[in-house]
Amino acid sequence: MRTSFLAILIVSSLAVAPAARAHHSAARFDLTIRDHFVTGIVKEFHPANPHTKIVLEITDEKGTRDVEFEGHSLNNYYRGGWREGLVKVGDKITLQAAPTKDGSDGGYALGVIAADGTKF
Amino acid sequence: MNTARQLGVLLGFCLGAHVAAAAEPPDFTGIWDTYREPGAPPPRFGGPPEKLPLKTDAQKKVDDYRALIAPSGDTPGGWCLGTGMPGSMLGSGGYPMEIVQHKELLVVVYEAHTEVRHIYLANRAKEGDLFPDRNGYSFGHWDGDKLVVETTHLKEAVDQARYPHSDQAKIVETYHLAANDDGTKVLTAEMTLTDPAFYTEPIKAVKKWQQKPGIRLLPYECNEPAWEDHLEQLREQQKPAAHPPQQKPAAGKKDGG
Repeated sequence: MRTSFLAILIVSSLAVAPAARAHHSAARFDLTIRDHFVTGIVKEFHPANPHTKIVLEITDEKGTRDVEFEGHSLNNYYRGGWREGLVKVGDKITLQAAPTKDGSDGGYALGVIAADGTKF
Repeated sequence: MNTARQLGVLLGFCLGAHVAAAAEPPDFTGIWDTYREPGAPPPRFGGPPEKLPLKTDAQKKVDDYRALIAPSGDTPGGWCLGTGMPGSMLGSGGYPMEIVQHKELLVVVYEAHTEVRHIYLANRAKEGDLFPDRNGYSFGHWDGDKLVVETTHLKEAVDQARYPHSDQAKIVETYHLAANDDGTKVLTAEMTLTDPAFYTEPIKAVKKWQQKPGIRLLPYECNEPAWEDHLEQLREQQKPAAHPPQQKPAAGKKDGG
């Protein structure tokens, strides 16, 4: 169920709008990788069309820094279960994030696990 | 009643029934989402584009466009531009569509980019009043329980992901409604695209939707973040300088005058 849902989301979002706030493109993400998860503290969460913007404060071996992610459209997140107020600044959330092809920070959020465990 | 009279009554009854049936076409009104056959695998993203019977010049135009956007992965949707026909109908990004059916007009709203098509069933526009558009001009008629729609006045669109076309393209869609064993309403569109400038033969495709009662079409504002960014830039530009330059005395003005 979850796999089908994610597959639909990917097709839905990418077929129409592989771009973001500043006309980014999904071309820089390796969308074949589905088992990459990133956890961090929400600094920004802007559900939008065609793509959502998410900024997390991440701490790992590279240190602590803010990392920007793209995500599915507001409409697709809504149909996937996101509702206003579910993700707030300061929340600790996990992204199922297709990584960048060049290994730089960032990724494409295929799914989100909110602080209360809700997945969308 | 003799045989001739009986046949006359029967013929009249059949004609009457036919007229009554023709007067009540099926109702396509509602929200529709992409249909997947029971047990079919989920759709897969990616893969090489379909091999198309493009003419040499058209192939070059399409190749040039695809080479242009390949490094960035840019798409019209990424720039908040609607897909246009036939992509708006065939894909619409996997988002649902809403049909509002009137006697002389069907309004189709594709959620992605809130693309709207008007399918006129009467009062065809004069040729001189039409101009090219990404979704073209659509005029339809009922053929029994099927809706046949012809779309013309399209712009050349090499940025169509599946079926790029010239401004000479004509698209004919035939819609019909059926129900699965479980009662699910399924709407099917059989599409034929003819384009003598781009293709050596007609292109055919089929799209199916299923009715989704209980959901609503969502707004699809796309440029709002760009607008907010622009406002922020304006605010930055118009911020008063932290240390404004000291005003010099106006020319010709004498101190203590």
